[in-house]
Amino acid sequence: MPIEIPVDKWPGTVNTVTLGATAADGGTRSKVVTIGGERSLPFMHFENETPHPPVIALEMTAARPGDWSQVLLDAWGDVVDDPARWAGACEEAGADLILLMFGLNDADGNPVTPDFAVGTVKAVLQATGLPLVVLGPGQAEVDNEILVPVADATKGERLVLGLCEDANYRTIVASAMANGHLVLGRTPMDVNLAKQLNILMTDMGLPLDRIVMDPTTGALGYGIEYGYSVMERLRLAALQGDAMTQLPMLVNPGYEAWRTKESKVGEGVPDTWGDWAARGTHWETLTAVSLIEAGADVVVLRHPDSVTRVREAIDELMTLETA
Amino acid sequence: MALSGIQIYKMLPQTNCKECGFPTCLAFAMKLAAKQVELDDCPYVTEESKQQLAESAAPPIRLITLKARDHEVAVGNEVVLFRHEKKFFNRPGVLIRVVDTAEEAAITEKVAAASAYSVDYVGLDLRLDGFVIEAASGDPAAFATAVGAVRASSGLPVVLKSDDPAVIEAGLKVLEGEKPLLLGANSGNWEAMADLAKQGETALGVMGGTLEELAELTEKIQATGVEDMVLYPTASAMGASLAMQTQIRRLALKNFRPLGYPTIAFAGDGGNPARESTLAAHAICKYAGFVVVDTFAPELIYPILVLRENIYTDPQKPIQVLPAVYEINDPKPGDPVLVTTNFSITYFSVANEVEGSGLSAWLLVTDAEGMSVLTAWAAGKFDAESIAKAVKEFGIADKLEKHVIVLPGHTAVLSGELEEELPDWEVKVGPREAVDLPGYMKTVLT
Amino acid sequence: MSRYIATRAIRGANALVGEAEVMLKQALDEHGADTPVSFPNTAYFLPVIFGMTGREIENLGELPEVLDHARSLLHPTPSAKHWTPYLGETLDSGMATLLAAETIEAIRYIYGLQPELLPGFELAGGTSFTSPDMNGGADGSSNGHLNGAIDDIQLRSWGIQLVDGRMPGFAAIVGCAKSNAAAVQIVRELQRRNILTFLSGNVNGRSIIHQLLEEGVELGYDTYTVPFGTDTISAIYALGFATRSALTFGGMKGGQAKEILHYNKDRVFAFVLALGEVDDLKYAAAAGAINFGFPVIADTVIPQILPTGVTTYEHVVSLPWHEIDGGDDLEKAERLVQKCIEVRGVKVQVADVPVPVPYGSAFEGEVVRKADMRVEFGGKNSRCFEYLRMGKLDEVVDGKIEVVGPDFSAVDPQGSMDMGIVVEVAGRQMEQDFEPVLERQIHYFVNGASGIQHIGQRDITWIRVSEKAAEVGFDLESFGKILHARLHSDFGAIVDKVAITIYTDPEQVDQRLDEARAAYDFRNKRLEDLTDTAVDVFYSCTLCQSFAPNAPNHVCIVSPERLGLCGAYNWLDCKASFNINPTGPNQPIKLGRVSDLETGYWEGTNDYAKVGSHGVVEEVAMYSIMENPMTACGCFECIVMLIPEANGVMVVSREDTSMTPAGMTFSTLAGIAGGGIQTPGVMGVGKYYLASPKFISADGGFKRIVWMSSVLKDTMSEEFKIVAEREGDLELIDRIADERSVSSVDELLAWMEAHEHPALTMDAIF
Repeated sequence: MPIEIPVDKWPGTVNTVTLGATAADGGTRSKVVTIGGERSLPFMHFENETPHPPVIALEMTAARPGDWSQVLLDAWGDVVDDPARWAGACEEAGADLILLMFGLNDADGNPVTPDFAVGTVKAVLQATGLPLVVLGPGQAEVDNEILVPVADATKGERLVLGLCEDANYRTIVASAMANGHLVLGRTPMDVNLAKQLNILMTDMGLPLDRIVMDPTTGALGYGIEYGYSVMERLRLAALQGDAMTQLPMLVNPGYEAWRTKESKVGEGVPDTWGDWAARGTHWETLTAVSLIEAGADVVVLRHPDSVTRVREAIDELMTLETA
Repeated sequence: MALSGIQIYKMLPQTNCKECGFPTCLAFAMKLAAKQVELDDCPYVTEESKQQLAESAAPPIRLITLKARDHEVAVGNEVVLFRHEKKFFNRPGVLIRVVDTAEEAAITEKVAAASAYSVDYVGLDLRLDGFVIEAASGDPAAFATAVGAVRASSGLPVVLKSDDPAVIEAGLKVLEGEKPLLLGANSGNWEAMADLAKQGETALGVMGGTLEELAELTEKIQATGVEDMVLYPTASAMGASLAMQTQIRRLALKNFRPLGYPTIAFAGDGGNPARESTLAAHAICKYAGFVVVDTFAPELIYPILVLRENIYTDPQKPIQVLPAVYEINDPKPGDPVLVTTNFSITYFSVANEVEGSGLSAWLLVTDAEGMSVLTAWAAGKFDAESIAKAVKEFGIADKLEKHVIVLPGHTAVLSGELEEELPDWEVKVGPREAVDLPGYMKTVLT
Repeated sequence: MSRYIATRAIRGANALVGEAEVMLKQALDEHGADTPVSFPNTAYFLPVIFGMTGREIENLGELPEVLDHARSLLHPTPSAKHWTPYLGETLDSGMATLLAAETIEAIRYIYGLQPELLPGFELAGGTSFTSPDMNGGADGSSNGHLNGAIDDIQLRSWGIQLVDGRMPGFAAIVGCAKSNAAAVQIVRELQRRNILTFLSGNVNGRSIIHQLLEEGVELGYDTYTVPFGTDTISAIYALGFATRSALTFGGMKGGQAKEILHYNKDRVFAFVLALGEVDDLKYAAAAGAINFGFPVIADTVIPQILPTGVTTYEHVVSLPWHEIDGGDDLEKAERLVQKCIEVRGVKVQVADVPVPVPYGSAFEGEVVRKADMRVEFGGKNSRCFEYLRMGKLDEVVDGKIEVVGPDFSAVDPQGSMDMGIVVEVAGRQMEQDFEPVLERQIHYFVNGASGIQHIGQRDITWIRVSEKAAEVGFDLESFGKILHARLHSDFGAIVDKVAITIYTDPEQVDQRLDEARAAYDFRNKRLEDLTDTAVDVFYSCTLCQSFAPNAPNHVCIVSPERLGLCGAYNWLDCKASFNINPTGPNQPIKLGRVSDLETGYWEGTNDYAKVGSHGVVEEVAMYSIMENPMTACGCFECIVMLIPEANGVMVVSREDTSMTPAGMTFSTLAGIAGGGIQTPGVMGVGKYYLASPKFISADGGFKRIVWMSSVLKDTMSEEFKIVAEREGDLELIDRIADERSVSSVDELLAWMEAHEHPALTMDAIF
């Protein structure tokens, strides 16, 4: 029986965005990462090829993380005290890119300074050839204080700077524009707010191929379904041709999953939760895979084992061949 | 083109007899238009109307129910491709696979543990739905023994998996009075399998590597009178399975009857839990009616069951947490009462922030019908009266020395009324976003 | 275009290009073509030349081409006899002037004449000219010379602030102020607003730079007030700065002249303030600035160019010093700066609400009890009203707060007094239609103050001030301060000036109240006249999607005769909201061609429905419940549902929890009506839509209502009276059943028979 397979023909295409720049393009990265370009829903290879598979970022912090699960600290060992070594370890673990997160304090517990930020970013750039996402602690004043000098000091690297949020995006966008970087915009799980921020950022003159959006998601068990549906809706709108939703999406299942009680706490929890370390990694992996199904272009993870698993899943999803 | 409720109404008896369970024919018609009920629920509809409505009335994906002593699992009846379009209706059955070549004791142990497994998630009791018993032995007697072992240690529904009708028949005999799934029919054995399904009044799994293969088989089998079928697309790698599952769902929603059945997906891969976790997540997100895992381990099963719960939540009826006072980080009588609504995400974001900060507090969750703070406030479900009611109902005052209650910043406007409702309390207005709570508690409350 | 200006600008340009040619020839003779030319510490060569022509000038020998280009832009001065438009010629001349000016400054750098020497002067914050051979000063420090060109590091730092809005714009001041005091005041006014200021030029040898130095004002990067040079030519550095902003932040390349000029017009809020007599060269330079979209404001009598075009608003504005309203030079200076800001459209933020009590949304819901009250306005014992009206831009004095009558200190504790709050706002984007929208905000603004309670609106306003607030100094003027600050910060997009008058003098209150009531009536009338056919845009509203995520595909289409289903947003609100936040939840929907006026289909609304619903809804009928009704999220005030047996519809209100004749309660019905799905026969609406002439007009209108919740009858009785008159049946409302007497279809039909409901005899609804 011949069956006519329903094929979606979409008028829209997700923007193609390249993260990082090699020496030839004014940066120092040995490898760049290109995301986006989809003309179909995720992995519908029978409709259109997926030009760029989703990529995996590993998150690391500029100073030893104070609030990470012990499972993660055990997995990484003492590299967490040295950003350069940590970055190298991330690369070794198989990350496509690195997300460097600044907190409010430096390694000695003092408030972060522009010098500390620039020094750390430079050390990480030195230690790895992977593209880099640099995020401030999320307080407008501090973000602007450290991201502007970081942007200046790394001109041409095509870093992704963030977070641009509704209340604070102008300074970050301006410094990205002046130095050839990209920005990451985050909005709280809402299609319209995401669109609105994208409009505002492009209004400043930043081209669309230099913006990545984080529509925000929840962890498995903690609201993943909202993020999941918002992502599906954003991607559908993008394919339907709505330019302000055609940005590649970056989400952070690592952060979300590892701050749940299930991943963070090993004692005093029900037996029915099973082994702590395995549970934490499963929690992260399931969250990440689900979000990839919903259209994520970049998933940010925290556990090295999750990288391997999610990588296998992406590889499998990228082919129509049977196992 | 689907008919609207009004168009359907015209074809109904218009007697408002209520026997369908709805107050009026119009209400029933609207439910029918939304494909949430079946036309058969109307006892008085004429044959003529039935025919006219058949297209519009039958759910595009047949509802399949497996039954056993202690449990029933129903899958199918889905009407959308994306959960935000309406919702995903019937949670996929999560099943554990056992193989008949394993030691009987091992089977018993695994099945008993899995069968008894129960985990609490936001007040919901999550459990597994049954077992797949696979005939690796090819021996009817061995298979029957394995089925017997499963049945002796569990009352959950089962799937019998073998392509040898004789083996299946042997297993089926053990399951008197149940409705298992027979898995299954292929191009070589379909007639014998269809006979078994008909005799046993069971559902029949249909295997195929392509859509054409599947559709041809279901048509032939349906012609023999078997109505309940489950599709088993045998492409197991994620990319291929996603393509097939998506195509089946799309075709079914376009009322392509031969593929209008739920599917079964095997995430097990020789007991590699790492790969099982990703495959199971994939199958739950993308359209599987049954998801089969080999490994029974709580740390794997728990997240799988939670994901299923999340993806199958009605986007229009958010998950609610139980209205109550939640104790965060062992609060003392001197700690503040934070108040929020029982929308799960609201609850989680507040609870998570406070928990993560290490600060202690009493979290008072009011019954706001599962709406977020702003929505509930706008809808009048989160007001001074309902907060005061919750304070009294849960007797929180007795646990406290200091009576400080903190409102979400967005509802600052309630502070005046709340002071009137709770004259002995100090009403404070907290931050608008949960993420700012720890800072607020550190600076303002101490 | 003024011929006078054209003549003088073209003459000035001719002269300057000639001067540059002479200087260049001399420099080539004395130094040779290979002599490097550059401004210090910049990667953008000679930036205006680079930006406008793409030429990367690195030595003297490359400059003749530039001047050739400049000369080609020159035109003969306009004939005295023939009246032709001169704008193009004048702008060309301006551009030629800029190229020549930059050439001259580049040559002066070679001769060590730039930065301009000024013995004894010290730049605040230094400069980056640290290399002795780059430095005009002998000791290699920042002493003894003016600033000259701005280097790239400073450009970057200020550029980011200009782009991200921390710095609203820059002012290029050219010339000399009327007095030293005026000079200081002008600069202070600019600094106060965080506006970057560049100084250059002179009048008869005396420059504003001299004036400021004499008054001990610190100049330099640190004070955001940069002395370029005491001649007009040095003003070119301002445009070099502007050009590099576009290159750096706009991602433009050298030679993209048009893009760079547009960028500056749209994004760099700069203006030229010409102080003192304007000579040919200044006209020519001003013409150059206008190319960038920077308007020119002069404090002397010169012809004005008021039509807009190249600049956002007026091109050239003359505000002669002696005509400026103000008692002394200080006040005049303030007004002058205010005018500059208006002409360029620079938006100024007022950060804090300057009242003696804590202020914030946290205090919005506070209740002031009688016992804690210092005084009340309105309520039972006195009158209180608030009235906001639009004033003329040049008449409203921003920040002016006047109290007419005694303050409440004269009133006994817990007493009451009459009060009228009259707010005048002006703004280029302000419209009279926004008056009620802004006026309604007064409630929220006043409520934000701790210890103040505000209830009601218009002439039923009721305000209480607590004893505590009064003790710390909250007085009548405080109301004005709150309104001034909040209207600026929340509605800056449409409001440029706010003045408040508080009346407590009983006679004045009487008078003003009459005025206000006349305005209220006028507005009511205006709303009545505002019909769907009187406008050509409707508005979308996706406001609720942000906090009611359960209906992702729902959009409201709000028309003058159909408000949003939540009841909170009418067409005027949406219009104002769009003006305030052009990327926000309310977007205009151009109606385009009417497809069916009776049912309510337009090309524009249908197209929007498709896009807004992400393809879920194909068409939406504005006036029907039976075909393609508007979808709903879930926050509707009432639900309208078809009762087929009654040939009509029922309306159940959110407040009504009782059983309806549809056999379902409100909350059950909400499940059918919501979710962003089109369900013919069911619709969620805002309650005021019930009284609209367009209420399901395609299906027969209001007369179709056979049952409605009694709470609606009660709260809407005034509106329904009008509807009954309109429908020509004064008994109409009484013919409609409600939950007190009818809760099933059978009872309903009996009621309708008994009360002769019109729906019984209307055409079949389907």
